[in-house]
Parts: sequence; structure tokens; C-alpha cells
Amino acid sequence: MNASLPEPQDVHPHQPDGDLGGARGQRAPVTPLPPKPKTPAGVAAGQQPAPPPRVKKPRKAAPRKKPAVAPGPPPPLPANLTIPPKPPLPPTVVAPRADASHTAEAPVAVEAPVPVEAPRVVDVRPIAETAPDVETLRPAGAPRVVEVPAAAAAGPRTAEARRPAEAPRPAEAPRPADEAVAPVVHAIQPQPAPAFVEPAPRILAETLVAAPLLNGAAALVVKSVTKTFGDTRAVDGIDLTVPAGTFYGLVGPNGAGKTTTLSMIAGLLRPDRGSIRVNGVDAASDPIGAKRQMGVLPDRLRTFDRLTGRQLLHYYGVLRGLPSAVVESRTTDLARAFDLSDALGRLVSDYSAGMAKKVMLAGAMIHSPRLLVLDEPFESVDPVSSAIILDILSAYVAHGGTVILSSHGMELVERVCSRVAVIVAGQVLAEGTVDEVRGELTLEQRFIELAGGLSDVEGLEWLHTFSD
Amino acid sequence: MAAHVLRLRVALLVGALRGDSAHVTRVLLGLMLLIGATIAAGWALLTLRDAPIDVVLAVFVLGGSAVTLGFTLAPLIAGATDPLDPRRFTVLGLPSGRLAMVLAIAGFLSIPIFTLAAISVYAAIVWSAQGVPWVPAVAGILLGIATCVLLAHVSMALTALFLRERRSRELSGLFVLAMLVVVVPVGVFFASLEWGGRVPTQLTAAVDALALTPLGAAWAFPGRVAQGGMASATPALLVAVATLVLLSAVWVLLVRRMLSTTERPVSVRERGGLGWFAVAPGTPGGAVAARSLIYWLRDRRYIVNIVVIPIAAALTTVPLLIVGVPPAIIALVPVPIVALFLGWLPHNDLAYDSTAVWMHIASGVRGVSDRVGRLVPVLVIGIPLLAIAIPVSIWVHGRWALLPAMVGVCAALFLSGLGLSSISSVVSPYAVSRPGESPFQQPQRTGAAGAIAQTLVMIGAIAVSAPVLWWGWLALSGDDDAAVIALWGGLAIGAGVLLLGIAVGSAVFERRGGRLMEFAEST
Repeated sequence: MNASLPEPQDVHPHQPDGDLGGARGQRAPVTPLPPKPKTPAGVAAGQQPAPPPRVKKPRKAAPRKKPAVAPGPPPPLPANLTIPPKPPLPPTVVAPRADASHTAEAPVAVEAPVPVEAPRVVDVRPIAETAPDVETLRPAGAPRVVEVPAAAAAGPRTAEARRPAEAPRPAEAPRPADEAVAPVVHAIQPQPAPAFVEPAPRILAETLVAAPLLNGAAALVVKSVTKTFGDTRAVDGIDLTVPAGTFYGLVGPNGAGKTTTLSMIAGLLRPDRGSIRVNGVDAASDPIGAKRQMGVLPDRLRTFDRLTGRQLLHYYGVLRGLPSAVVESRTTDLARAFDLSDALGRLVSDYSAGMAKKVMLAGAMIHSPRLLVLDEPFESVDPVSSAIILDILSAYVAHGGTVILSSHGMELVERVCSRVAVIVAGQVLAEGTVDEVRGELTLEQRFIELAGGLSDVEGLEWLHTFSD
Repeated sequence: MAAHVLRLRVALLVGALRGDSAHVTRVLLGLMLLIGATIAAGWALLTLRDAPIDVVLAVFVLGGSAVTLGFTLAPLIAGATDPLDPRRFTVLGLPSGRLAMVLAIAGFLSIPIFTLAAISVYAAIVWSAQGVPWVPAVAGILLGIATCVLLAHVSMALTALFLRERRSRELSGLFVLAMLVVVVPVGVFFASLEWGGRVPTQLTAAVDALALTPLGAAWAFPGRVAQGGMASATPALLVAVATLVLLSAVWVLLVRRMLSTTERPVSVRERGGLGWFAVAPGTPGGAVAARSLIYWLRDRRYIVNIVVIPIAAALTTVPLLIVGVPPAIIALVPVPIVALFLGWLPHNDLAYDSTAVWMHIASGVRGVSDRVGRLVPVLVIGIPLLAIAIPVSIWVHGRWALLPAMVGVCAALFLSGLGLSSISSVVSPYAVSRPGESPFQQPQRTGAAGAIAQTLVMIGAIAVSAPVLWWGWLALSGDDDAAVIALWGGLAIGAGVLLLGIAVGSAVFERRGGRLMEFAEST
């Protein structure tokens, strides 16, 4: 079951999946995210989050275990596609995928009841009831409102210790829910007793927060990378730092150098100057080690399309050094997740553009890399499929994986990415969390502004004097 | 236990006669045909009773070797499953040694062995008519039959252990190809012999050699006794007995292994649809080989390249014919040219992938895997082609002493061409028509890099093979020793250049990944 979706793993891919089941539970906290309160609204943007508290109040602890069977998911997601929750993980890890698949209803519903229903017992220690309450509230109930104290107080509990693993959750929390839950938050706020802060757990919590930093913090560090083609300087001294466990967006106008940058990161092109480190591995001195950690989806490059879908996925897997048996089971899982099962027997050259993109994305994930480098992953993919892909990627990020993608869809980047870099003419003009980059504007407005604004279109007057 | 297993075996044999009437009719018809053929073969053998001893020996050794080989290969090629597979007895908890023995005995009860036994009886009659005492005659025959039984068992067990998952159309095709490689030259060789009522000397040499191999030793034993008494027959007997002992040991080990391991469950449905990928080993190199094979057999651009080769080779003979070169010499010209072109074929292999080569670069495939994998299709096509063309050309030429020289020359040209191609395809790829486009629609090329690479590979292959060509020429002028030197020299030069080329090509591939992508994207 671990094969069902790609998750980052330390172990070399040769290791058969089965062996990881137990270990991964322990590893989960090692891939945390510092809670990012200011992340954009939930993945399910555009969909009105249902009023949170009303639906599931009585469900107590149950919803925690419930993966995604919530009522009324729109067609996108067959229920069997769920990542089966792995026992050792904090159950809430499941939530992110729920966010994307159904409307915002699920996440809020899952979290919301907690504050009200004090008796929810996730932890062994009933004394601390209040603490988890506040903690669980934090993500659901607008980080902005309660944010700091809650998070601070939250640290100590063992349950909290695992929290970082699900850090993206707050990011998913649909903003509109804030108002709805806020009162509850305030009602309960007094309860969190800092008294419960115990030294030992705090240390645990701190080490966990610190873990990514010790780990090399950044999944990807690009330093003053330059690439020239002939006389054109496609990439001109770009610096990027992508923290592990983030959804990183690269936006820029046509010809800004996004694809070249991503190609250099993926090891397809060699930079003229500058260095690239993937999870601390220098791509110039150990290219194979760096490539092993990455899954790549290039844009506008061919694939071996005289193979059938099954053969192509097999090729992807075996080239990465996976044993055939593992490749076979993962092929089946990926095909199911990407809704390609019926197409596996056909030649890839007969696929539509969107299906080819999906099969290539599946191939990029087959060796469960730590970093996914995706160039325009949503181009020509239908909305249903892109919802599924987003869903899979969110779950991947939630488990500590890192995604760097380029896109022209500002709204999508704003919704999905936690950090974003704007590249214009081969240079990074703005970089940071989405909120930092966009400031008061929407990301699209900010982007147009950075890219040079909308100059008045002149010289096309003849177009307005219709010829007949 | 033995009685039970034997009874089971008989029941299985009789069971073949059960079923609907159409099936029974087919089986009966087949049996009648088989019996008829056996009687005919026996009749033919009986005519040998007063033939010279050399002829009898040649017939029995060659025929017996062929039959023995057949018992070994049939399970591999046909994928026959042993009805008494040792694994079916796993649950009974029998001691593996006894089970192995009982199964080996039960193996005697099968239609092919019955047929073989019937023919062997005729053989025994022939031998005693030739004056062989009955003990060696019967011993030789029994040894031969036992060898066949054990070989079939071992072969089926090995198939069950290692090939069951890979069984597919592609694999059967490979086996047929391999057989072709063996059968055609042998057939051509036989066809070229001049019998004239006696055994040609070449055949005597072949018989002598076969009589000391596991395949033919048992069948040769009575004949050797007839020729020169026990003393001259001892080597054959020793080989035959040793073969039997060795096979028994292997069989016992196999039974033990099969009883103590379980089959890996294989889902046929999932395994299906992989084509060559299911045949190739599950390593990056194997995957590249499988992918290349699929492309070579499915992509018109490659197919055109292959088809052009024999045509080009045939065309080269036309001017020679016009000039008046003797046909015996002309017969030797096309095959080395085919070998040269075959080695030259993959000199721009990488460019045919177009931008899809990113998959190899992004996966961090080792250079060796990429280089060797890409050569596999050329080897799969080239080796059978040469194996068939070389004997035919020598046959037309008429002097078999040239065969080693011809093999050496072709090996040198072909292998060194492959080695140089491995380098050129990463160092200097040039634009070709893109996937899906017509193979005749060549893209615009700037610069002469492409032409230079083509020429260099071609000339380089000829240059490194020059010594071999010289030895070949000496052999043609009548120096038979030069033919043998050409054989070994050609193989050594070819293999050396091939290995060197792969090593250099691999290193370049790993160092120049970025440059290759730039090339691919620019075309």
C-alpha cells in the first residue's frame, strides 16, 4: 500500500516498499514544516467551504480516522484512490488530501468539532485535553487570529510533536472559515494552560522543528546560476532556496527562463556558472546522486511514445534502478491514481496531450523522489485530472516531499504554492511566501506589475477599422 | 511410492485419450502417424545392416546427437511443462532423493521416449548385424535413452525455475532465431558435401568430435566397439557415463531445490503487455535494450536502415560482375560489406531518440547501460544475419577452408564498427528525421559534422580491421594457416575495439549529458 503514492524516502529506491511501512512512521516527524500561518487559502479555492462546525460535531474522534469518505466529493476522485492512512502517522495527515478532493468541507469539519467536543481523545493523556484543543484549533481557526500564543503553548504535547508533519494543513484551511470558527477559538482560548508546558516535550518539539534545518533545511539550493545560449542569456544569476516540504511556484512571462532553470535543476542542462544542491548533494560533483532524488516532468520534450503506457512506466521505473516487481505494483497504483488504467495498453503516441502529461507525471513519481521538478504540470490537463494531480501532490508535500513547479496559472499558484518566485528575463524579481510576494495585490496583478506592466498597445489601429 | 508414481504416469498417458471425440480422433491420428514414421525410420535403419561401418557410425552419431539436442531444447522452446513437476509433490513431504529417482524412472514412460526406444531397437539390430556384441550395443542404447530422459527433465525443471515468468512471444522468437543461427549453417554445410557413396572427410571429423561430446558419446559407443574393439570405445563410454552421472546429480539437486522453494506467484495479466521488457533483465541496461528493440522493430526509420543494407551489399557485386571478376571471388564480397554496414548502423543511434533522450539523462542511467543496451538490437539482428550469410557465401565460393577467415573478417568489421559507433553516437550526433516522420525526409543540417561522423566510423572500422583483411587475402590466395589467424585475430580486434568503444562512449555519455540535451533540443 505504500506504493500507492509516491512519498519521499531516505532509503534508496531499491528497497522494496514493504520494508518501509514501519520505519516511515517514525520518520514522519523528521520531515516537518515550520507551521506557516500566512499561507494562502485552501487548495479547494473557489469552492465555498461549508460552514464548518455544523456538520460533524457529534463525530468526536471518529473523523480523525476517516480518510476521505466524506459525502459528496465531486466526481474527480474515486474513493479507492485514497492514501490509506498509515497507522503510525498522525491521523490528520490524511486531511490535506481530503481538502483537495472534496470541497473545503472536510478539513474544516474534521477539525472544527474538536474545540467544542472536548472529550475527543487522540492522546493517551487525558489531562492535557485543553492543550490539544487549542492546538487543533489553530490550523482550522485562522492562524492569524490565535496564531502565536496557541502555537507556542502547543509545542509541548507529544501529539503536537508530530504536528509539524501536517504543517501544510493550516495552509489548506480555507480562509473564509476564519470568521465562522473564530468565535469558538476565542471561547476556548483561555483554557490552554501554559502550565502544561513540560520541558522534555518541548525539547522534543524544538528538535523536531530544528530537524529540517539540521537536515540541510533546503530541498533545493540554486546559487547564482547562469546559462547562455549563443548570445542570449536565458538565465542570469538566479538564486533560489526551496525549503523541504514546500510547494514552490516558479512564475514568469514567456521566455523568462523558467524552463531553462528547471532543466538545469533536473540535470538536463549544465549551468555555465553557479551551483545547484539537491538535498545537500552537489549536482555538479555528484550528478547521479542528485538525479536520484528528483522526479522530473519536462515540458515540450518528447517521450518514448512508441511504447505503451505500461511499457513507458516500466521503463521509467527500471531506468531508476527499481526491481521489476516493485515497478509493476507501482505502475498499477499510479495508473489507478491518475485514472490511466484503461489506457495502459495503448501506445503513448495515441494519447491525448493531457493523458501523455499524466503518464509522464506518474513516471516522474515512480521512484518516490524527494523533490519533484515539474514544468507546466497542469498545461492541457483537464480540470478533473488537475484536481486529482493537485491532490496527489498535496499529499506528497504533506508527507515531507518538495515540489517545484512552473506555471502560467497565477490563480493556481496563489492557491497551491506556499512560496513563489517571479522570474523575468532570467532574473528573480521577487521571492518569498505568496503573501510576501503579492503584498496588497493579487498575485496576478503583482506579477503583471513585475513583468513590466501592461503597456498601451499601439499601432494596431487598423485592426479596429474593419475592412468590409 | 515408485509404483504409485508410475501408475500415475500411466494414467496420465491414458488420460490423453480422454475427452471429446474430436480430441480423441486428433490424438489417435497423431499416434498413427508417429507409429508409421517410426516404422519407416526403422525400415530405413535396417537398410544400413550391410553398409560400411563408417556410414553407420556417422548416421547414428549425427542422428543421435540431433535427437538428444532436441530433447534438451524442446522444453525451452515449446515451454512444455512437466506433468510430473517435482513441485506438485511438495505437499506430500517425500524425501527428495527418492522422489528424484522415481520421477526419473517415470520419465521413461512417455510417448517421445517410447518412439526413441522403438527406433533404438532397430539400431541394436543394425549393430549386431555389424558384428557388435549385444552387450555394448544394448548398453550404448540404454545410455543414450537415459541421457535423453534426464536431459528433458533437467531442461523442463530449469524452464520452470527460471523462464516461466518470461515466457512470451518475444522469447520464443529469440529461441527460434537462435536455432536458425545453428541450423542454417549446418544445413548449408551438409548440402555442400559430396557424398558419392562414402563419408566425406569433413563429416568424419564432425562425427569424431561429436562422439566425444555428451550429445553423441552414447550413440557412438557401439560403433566404436565395432570399429576397433573396447579399447577405442572407452573414451566414448567414459563421456557417456560421466554425462549420465552429472545429469543425475543436477536432477537430484534441482528436485531438492524445487521442493524447498515455492514458485513466485506471477500475475499473468500484469506481466502481460510488457513485450520485450518482460524478456529483458530488469536492469537499466536491460530496459534500454528492450526499448531499443521495440523501436528497431516498430519504427520505420530504423527498418529502412536495415532494409537498405542487403540491397547495398548486393549492388556492390554488379560492377564487379561487369568487370569480369570470377563469381567465386564475387561471392565473398557482399558479406563483409553487410558486416561493415551492420556495425555502422548505430553510429547515430542517440539522435533517433530526439528529445526523449532526456529520460536517460534525468534518470542518471550509467553510460554503460545506455551504450550496451542500444547495441543489443543490432546484435540480435546482425548475428543471425551474418550466421546465415557467411556459410551461404562460402558455399557459393566453394572452398570451406576460407570459412574461418570469413568469420574473422566479418567479426572484425562488425564489432569494431559497433565500438566506434558507440563513441560517435554520443560525441557527434547529427540531426535525423524526427520520430513519426518519413525516414526519407531528411532534416536540414548545418555543418558537416554528420558527414564526418559517418565517414570516420566507416573508415575507422576498415582501418582497424586492415590486418584481418590482409590475413583473409592471404587465405584466399591459398594459405590455409592464415585463415585461422584471421579468425582469431578478427575476433580479438573486434572485441577489443568494441570494449574500448563502449568504455569511451560511456564516459562521454556521463560527462556530456547537458550537451546531448542541447543537441536534442536544437534539432
